[in-house]
Amino acid sequence: MSMKFIKAIRELQTHPGRTFLAVFALILGIWGAGSVFVSYYILTRDLNQNFQRTLPAHLILESDDFSGLNLREFRQRPEVESAEFRDFSLHRIETYPDVWVPVLLYGVENFESFEIARVFHQEGAIHPPLGSILMERDGKLISDIHTGASPRMRVGSKVVNVPVSGICFDPAQAPATQDHIIYAYTEKDSYAALTGLSVNHRLIIRLKGVSSAKEVKDRADVMIAALGKKGISMTRTSIPLFNEHPHQWQLNTLLFVIGSVGFLAFLMGAVLVSQLMQSIMAGQIRQIGIMKSLGATPFHVFQIYTFMLLIMGLTASLVAVPASVITGVQFSRFVAKILNFDILSVVPVYIYLLLVMAGLLLPLVLSFPLLIRGTKTSVLKAVRDYGISAGISGLNGKFQKITQFPWLTGSFILAVRNSARNSRRLAATIITMSLGVAIFSTGFNVRQSLWNLLTDLENELRYDVQVVLGEKITQEAAMLPFENLVNVKTVQAWSGGSGVIQSDVMATNTTAGIVALPYNTDLLKPRIINGRWLQKSDETEVVLNQQAWQLYNFPEPGADIELTVGDSSAVVRVVGIVEQFDKAKVFMDRAKYDAAFNPAHLVNTLTFAAQNDDYEQVITLKKEIEKAILTSDLDVLYVMTNAGRVRVIYAHLNIILSTILILSFLVLLVSAVGMASTTTINIGERTREIGVMRAIGATPQKIYSLFTNEGMIVSVSSIILGLILAYPLSQAASVFFGRLMLGEQAILRYAFSPWGFGITLMITLLFGWMASRLPAVSAVTKISTREALAYG
Amino acid sequence: MTQIAISVQNVTKTFNSGDRHFTALNAIDLDIKAGEYLAITGKSGSGKSTLLNMITGIDHPTSGTIKIHNTELGNMNEHQLSRWRGENIGIVFQFFQLIPTLTIGENLLLAMEFVGVIPKKERKERVKALLAKVGIESQTDKMPASLSGGEQQRAAIARALVNDPRIIVADEPTGNLDSENTAAVHNLLQSLAASGKTVVVVTHEVHAETRFDRTLTMSDGKILTT
Repeated sequence: MSMKFIKAIRELQTHPGRTFLAVFALILGIWGAGSVFVSYYILTRDLNQNFQRTLPAHLILESDDFSGLNLREFRQRPEVESAEFRDFSLHRIETYPDVWVPVLLYGVENFESFEIARVFHQEGAIHPPLGSILMERDGKLISDIHTGASPRMRVGSKVVNVPVSGICFDPAQAPATQDHIIYAYTEKDSYAALTGLSVNHRLIIRLKGVSSAKEVKDRADVMIAALGKKGISMTRTSIPLFNEHPHQWQLNTLLFVIGSVGFLAFLMGAVLVSQLMQSIMAGQIRQIGIMKSLGATPFHVFQIYTFMLLIMGLTASLVAVPASVITGVQFSRFVAKILNFDILSVVPVYIYLLLVMAGLLLPLVLSFPLLIRGTKTSVLKAVRDYGISAGISGLNGKFQKITQFPWLTGSFILAVRNSARNSRRLAATIITMSLGVAIFSTGFNVRQSLWNLLTDLENELRYDVQVVLGEKITQEAAMLPFENLVNVKTVQAWSGGSGVIQSDVMATNTTAGIVALPYNTDLLKPRIINGRWLQKSDETEVVLNQQAWQLYNFPEPGADIELTVGDSSAVVRVVGIVEQFDKAKVFMDRAKYDAAFNPAHLVNTLTFAAQNDDYEQVITLKKEIEKAILTSDLDVLYVMTNAGRVRVIYAHLNIILSTILILSFLVLLVSAVGMASTTTINIGERTREIGVMRAIGATPQKIYSLFTNEGMIVSVSSIILGLILAYPLSQAASVFFGRLMLGEQAILRYAFSPWGFGITLMITLLFGWMASRLPAVSAVTKISTREALAYG
Repeated sequence: MTQIAISVQNVTKTFNSGDRHFTALNAIDLDIKAGEYLAITGKSGSGKSTLLNMITGIDHPTSGTIKIHNTELGNMNEHQLSRWRGENIGIVFQFFQLIPTLTIGENLLLAMEFVGVIPKKERKERVKALLAKVGIESQTDKMPASLSGGEQQRAAIARALVNDPRIIVADEPTGNLDSENTAAVHNLLQSLAASGKTVVVVTHEVHAETRFDRTLTMSDGKILTT
């Protein structure tokens, strides 16, 4: 074996602590970046693949009467790939005793050969026998319904027991756990029998050769015109987001979070490796000189240290690459479980190879300037190298002045001056640590912003329970079953439905929900971001939430727009924009709504405010409402508590909140390891000094406190800089997440998390203390004064 | 006629530190014959180590020329100097400067590997022979730290000889040794000179003239006596 190779190995063996740290830093860097890379590879493919393999519909046409349509003939149209009547209706199912959630029931044409919007068999029946249903698998997570169970389902005003003959998987649906809704599928005849509804009103179509929503819209126009000629008119046309899963936004947010934090962890790992390599090379200067005096060329020197780096890179890769793949796959599985999709991808060999290559090249690339500098070291410089000098740099000069205060202790003054001996290393350590502090603190602040959003939401929804009816009825009929309820302070009847604001803006889903409520209601107080709330007026006023505002191309308050509900249209004036975590909504005074669109004064929503709004009391009220519904003939879509609504929204945000916190903690941990390594390097370089200090009477405790003081100086500096950095970072992150989750124009307000501040402070100081104390204890206990003095 | 191994002509070396200038060598002229056993003595700061650095190509003169066996060092770059040094000069340092992470034998093998003039298959035998010659054959597989100072210096001399250089340069080779080891090292260096190698030794020893063919005394960057 080459002596150069042996020398490289021996160097690594001689300083096992330093080698371990360098390899550990490399492992962290490769592992962090590799895990992100692997999960990126899987997640970017799999959610979409899961969605695409359902053969999602591009277009949905709804009509009261499709009897004039010959479906077989329609399927022969050149632009049609497949088409099927897939009716659905919303009902309620009992998930636990007296707990009911909405169930979306689909009537499927053929379970054996799906050509569009397919679901996948999981357990039990493939084709549900007559009268039974298949439940989407995510429903099992929010209920005790299972194959063979026969839960109660409320369809309109009747309650029926529906056998569940199997479980299926529909990756095109939003997860039941997040939306708190169960998806169920039954054969078309069973659908008609169970719901009592006529079928063939909803036609789902998959088109050939389309690549955008615009192309779908163009073809839809042609088809609708052709159907119109046959006397078939549409009541509704929907173009779903083109080739996009309903929760793609969550995945995009997650990918952004893990991508950016992973990249930062990688950068920190890189700084760490670079510092360690700098230290290793600094300790080798004399040896390089000796080797050159023996005839070694710069290339020989380069070879030796390249061997060394390759050995470290290979060792780190052996640990980090499998770890990256395992954590990347596990994280992807975790996300897949939450978003309800299957992991289909297998990590290919080239990803492993890329990671190994990265592991081998990373230390080389990071250390290349150091290597080149090392190979250029002259023999003269090398033989004159006596280790680290006192280093009275400009920075240290300033520190000298600072440390002349009489009340500072000797060991603190020494700690301050020692900290500045290698100003470049000090700067790198503080920058790395402060980045960790900034990201960790930002994680808490963004979390606080989201919490504030939820709190605002709770403040906005002043009612405690909302009952949404499946059909519009008179207010008296709607109120009747609830007359004898106790603990009710206020109950209001609201109306509404689907409406479209006439706009020349092309949109794929142009329907907004209309909420018609008393203009002076005290049960809903959303945050106004532009204009004002509804008031008594001669005009027909509307307030849009920011999703509706965005959907209809941002009409300014004061603008008159045309609102269409069913066959009726009215000109209304936009008076304000409110912020909501909800779908597109248009709010208007109920009296004005009734005048324009609802002459029979029918209602479809009841909102209850409880006298005693403690959580337990509200839950009791909800159960009483459920009991009243059960004995009535009301057709109810859902009953939801305010707390339940907030829980649903929280479920949407939770995965992102958790990921932000876990990853930001990892970044802080990486930066703490960086600090520990720097302290180890400092101690290693000052072994002889430790010996001198001990020889002149310093106890081990004094030496520990010297290094701990140095660690505290770095920690406190990092905390100050990190918290300053966290302010703009938190603001930017709040804006980014707000836009991603709430819409283009929505701003998630910056919030300062006092808890986050406290925890950041505690953890950073603790990490700083440990990162300086532990290497100091290790050095002092392992090396005697005699050995320390002889060192070098 | 005896060949001139080392020729130093009008060499001056000045060190600048801020506004201060320090002349370490002041217009030195010196010829050293092949096979000569030469001592350079003088007080600390007299310029003897600087002169040695000039001869080995470790440092460059501010002015003047240095020729080693008619090769002018000023014409070579750092890379060429490394190769040349490995082939032509064996250096022995005061603090031995063995690579601490390699065994004594490996220290010698590494030096051979760098220069590559000794065929691979002969290297191990050469290590044995050289270590036997300096009397530490039994220490071949030991790490430098486990050897005494005298043994380390003998190992360093063996390493200086591995590529069979024509010139051996030693900077205070006995500065860290007791009298017994000092004598042993001198005997070794003397025998090398006797075998035809040019040996230049920087030393503090006051009675150096008794051991060497010639002794130069330096002071303030000049050669006082030869």
